[in-house]
Amino acid sequence: METDGTAPGYLESRKLVKRWSGPWPALANTLLLAILFYATWWIFQDPRGIMRLYTPYVGYMYCRWLLIILIWVAYIFDFWPFRRGWIGRTHPVVKGLVLTAFSVAVMLLIIEGFFMRVLGDYGISYMSPDRLEAMGITRFYALEYATEAIMMFAVIASWLSPAWVVAVENAPWGKLPQPTRGVTIMLVTFLFSTIVYFLTMHSHMAILFYPWQQYTAITPGYWETFANTVSGNFHIGWIMCCTVTVWLYETIWERYPFNLIQTDWLRRLTAFFGIIAIAVALCFFLYYTQDLVWGETIRGTKRLMAPDWRWLHVGEMAIFWLVPMLFLNFYCGNWPTRFSRPVNVLLRTFITIAAAIVLYVVYYKTAHLFLGVQKGFSHPQQFPMIPTIWLINIMLINMWFMDGWPGWKAVPKTTEELAASHQEIVARDVKWSPALGVGLAVGVVGGVAIYVLVVAVLPWLGQMVTIIEGST
Amino acid sequence: MSEEKTTSRRDFVMGAATGVGVGAIGAMGLYSYTPAAYRRFAKAPRGNREEFGAVRRVRVTNISETSWFDNGMLMGDIMAAGGLLVNQYTIGWPPFGNGKGIAKGSFESGLESIRKMIPGDLDEAWALQTKLGVHPENPGGFSCLIEVESLDGTIHKYLLDSGWSFDWMDKAFKREKIDQMLAAHDIEALFLSHEHWDHFWGLPVTLKYDNRIPIYVHSGYYKEGLQYIGASGHKGKLVIQDKPIEKVIPGMVVIKYDVPIINRVFGETSLAFNIKDKGLVSISGCNHQGILQCTAYMRNNLKYDNNKFYGIYGGLHISPFEDWDPKYDDLVIALRQYEFEKIGCNHCTGVITAHKFVERGYPVVKGTARFRSKTPDYLGNGDTIEF
Ligand SMILES: [Fe+2]
Ligand SMILES: [Fe+2]
Repeated sequence: METDGTAPGYLESRKLVKRWSGPWPALANTLLLAILFYATWWIFQDPRGIMRLYTPYVGYMYCRWLLIILIWVAYIFDFWPFRRGWIGRTHPVVKGLVLTAFSVAVMLLIIEGFFMRVLGDYGISYMSPDRLEAMGITRFYALEYATEAIMMFAVIASWLSPAWVVAVENAPWGKLPQPTRGVTIMLVTFLFSTIVYFLTMHSHMAILFYPWQQYTAITPGYWETFANTVSGNFHIGWIMCCTVTVWLYETIWERYPFNLIQTDWLRRLTAFFGIIAIAVALCFFLYYTQDLVWGETIRGTKRLMAPDWRWLHVGEMAIFWLVPMLFLNFYCGNWPTRFSRPVNVLLRTFITIAAAIVLYVVYYKTAHLFLGVQKGFSHPQQFPMIPTIWLINIMLINMWFMDGWPGWKAVPKTTEELAASHQEIVARDVKWSPALGVGLAVGVVGGVAIYVLVVAVLPWLGQMVTIIEGST
Repeated sequence: MSEEKTTSRRDFVMGAATGVGVGAIGAMGLYSYTPAAYRRFAKAPRGNREEFGAVRRVRVTNISETSWFDNGMLMGDIMAAGGLLVNQYTIGWPPFGNGKGIAKGSFESGLESIRKMIPGDLDEAWALQTKLGVHPENPGGFSCLIEVESLDGTIHKYLLDSGWSFDWMDKAFKREKIDQMLAAHDIEALFLSHEHWDHFWGLPVTLKYDNRIPIYVHSGYYKEGLQYIGASGHKGKLVIQDKPIEKVIPGMVVIKYDVPIINRVFGETSLAFNIKDKGLVSISGCNHQGILQCTAYMRNNLKYDNNKFYGIYGGLHISPFEDWDPKYDDLVIALRQYEFEKIGCNHCTGVITAHKFVERGYPVVKGTARFRSKTPDYLGNGDTIEF
């Protein structure tokens, strides 16, 4: 059966229930994630493993494209062309295998077919590693350059595509049947991604070649003075923050606070641009924290002290936050849920930030011991976005394609539950009152105070704490 | 009444929770990346800078800067051996090849095959390694002669690095008459900048002509490296530098940088000279520590004439494989503000980088592109520079 726009999507129509009570479901799934992660990491990515895609850009490209295709399959296409009946009755493991294989096939078609062959052979030479190699670039770097460009499309799309669903609520095509809706939203977000790509990364690619390709791109990029670098890493920083903020808003924030806005168009617009504003704030803050801890950057230096690396690390830090965010939402029932929505949201934010810091420290202390990556924050062979997004991909497959097997199973929502989740689009639990206003004012002061405190403590922390001995 | 109170308390808490987010995110966005936020960063104080005398003049002769001849081949070997983290002695390159091919080499088996021939019979050793090693046609090496004129007029000669291929280096030494200088014990010391294949593995070529020459190495040398020095027949003084700054003669010091380097090497040393009435000159092998890091350290820790960083020589390690990244453009652009009077670069600086320096009008001393050096935009084999 084809779904029309009025029926809820599969992910909305199901309810995941624990198979066992207590912490067992979360533990079982964590174990499964760990096994799948390490096995697939070894097969595909690990520089000591079988396919060794972690060069790093080749592996990163596949990782990012798989992520965006998972989002397309589940969020944008609502599993089309697979039938709802099949999705509903098939065993989660079979479903996981089939849907993952399908996603990988689509991914290969897009990367090897569309980008490397169609665009690379008939449009943009830097998309084709073969072409770059034929023009005299070492094979290794030809692959790195081409995959970096192709990867960036996915990076931008993995902000814009889910933002269209989450913030813009599929408007104005929400009522179209599948696959029309999916194709439309995919094409529109892909078009926007292409525009953003040309405005952000095209100049970066153009100065990779000698001489600067000044007739085809603005060289150096317009952001040079502002970002203190000609590198497109500046854009990677804020765009990664956008991706993370979309999921922050969708998962642990339950679309709060923009869902308080009742007018559809205003809510959608505010949410879309609000996400960007929050992301930019996060990006500036994460950049500043690094300067506070490691000292001000020196342009032209290598690695840790270089502005281009610091912008990249903004994205890396943001991704370290996304992992606990999704874990809390998927496997811990978005805990805590017992307080009012704003309080829950705030608590979850604190919890996931704390977890992200722990993950960050543990990652940099241990990753070189078991992932085959290089020791150090800024080593060119140290690219934490790959393992973290690889893990996120597996979490998404587990939750979206496998209904949370083995710890959870999907049951259809009752009509009342469906109606309730439909109601959810506008939150009615927070209403304006003088007390709320006073609270808000007090809260703002508190929030600023927290910021001031963090900024004051960070330089001291930088002096006192060494995460990695003898490495930068 | 009490219900109302509860409601208003509840509203207050909800407002406060929301406000914390608004306040924190607002502050993050409006303050973090503003000039006001950066006022707290005082310019780094220049520490207790060390007075170390002065020399009159320094002349560098580039014996060889062509460390290898084919980038693609070298990169391919490293990747095939498992990438940039692999121990350099296991790649299988001469003189540590053992006939088993790429990634199957080992320090012990390689050294065993040539132990009896170094440093006495290097032709035979290299001929054997041409059979046992991976891509034996690719190695060249990095080495330069440094002639220093003291304030009293005496001339001191030093070698920085000893290259890689025995064959190539021996010919290069003969071309620049280094063999005769060594045999006459005219050269006072050999500084090995770091343990990399292209700077260090040609050591027997130096020792063939003078096995008593004092050698300086970074304390990060691995046990294989130290063993190779002994096995190559070194009988002279070995200085394993522990101090950050080691004095050699008045006006000349060795600076030690602790940096992890690709293919399991740790640390690099650079030479610094204070040239009377001109200023500071640094001479390096690869600058794996980064040319600007190198510059900043010397600037903050050494006292020199005119308070001027006068010049640099060596590999600047920017794009050794002719790969590119916009961050290298950042360096090319930022270098202007360091106001060097003379830049002598080659080796791992990269040809593209040198072109870009020249295009920006930097005072790069040009070369003659002889003896297989690739471009006249930098100092090639057999070229000299004087500070
Ligand atoms: Fe080196
Ligand atoms: Fe080198």
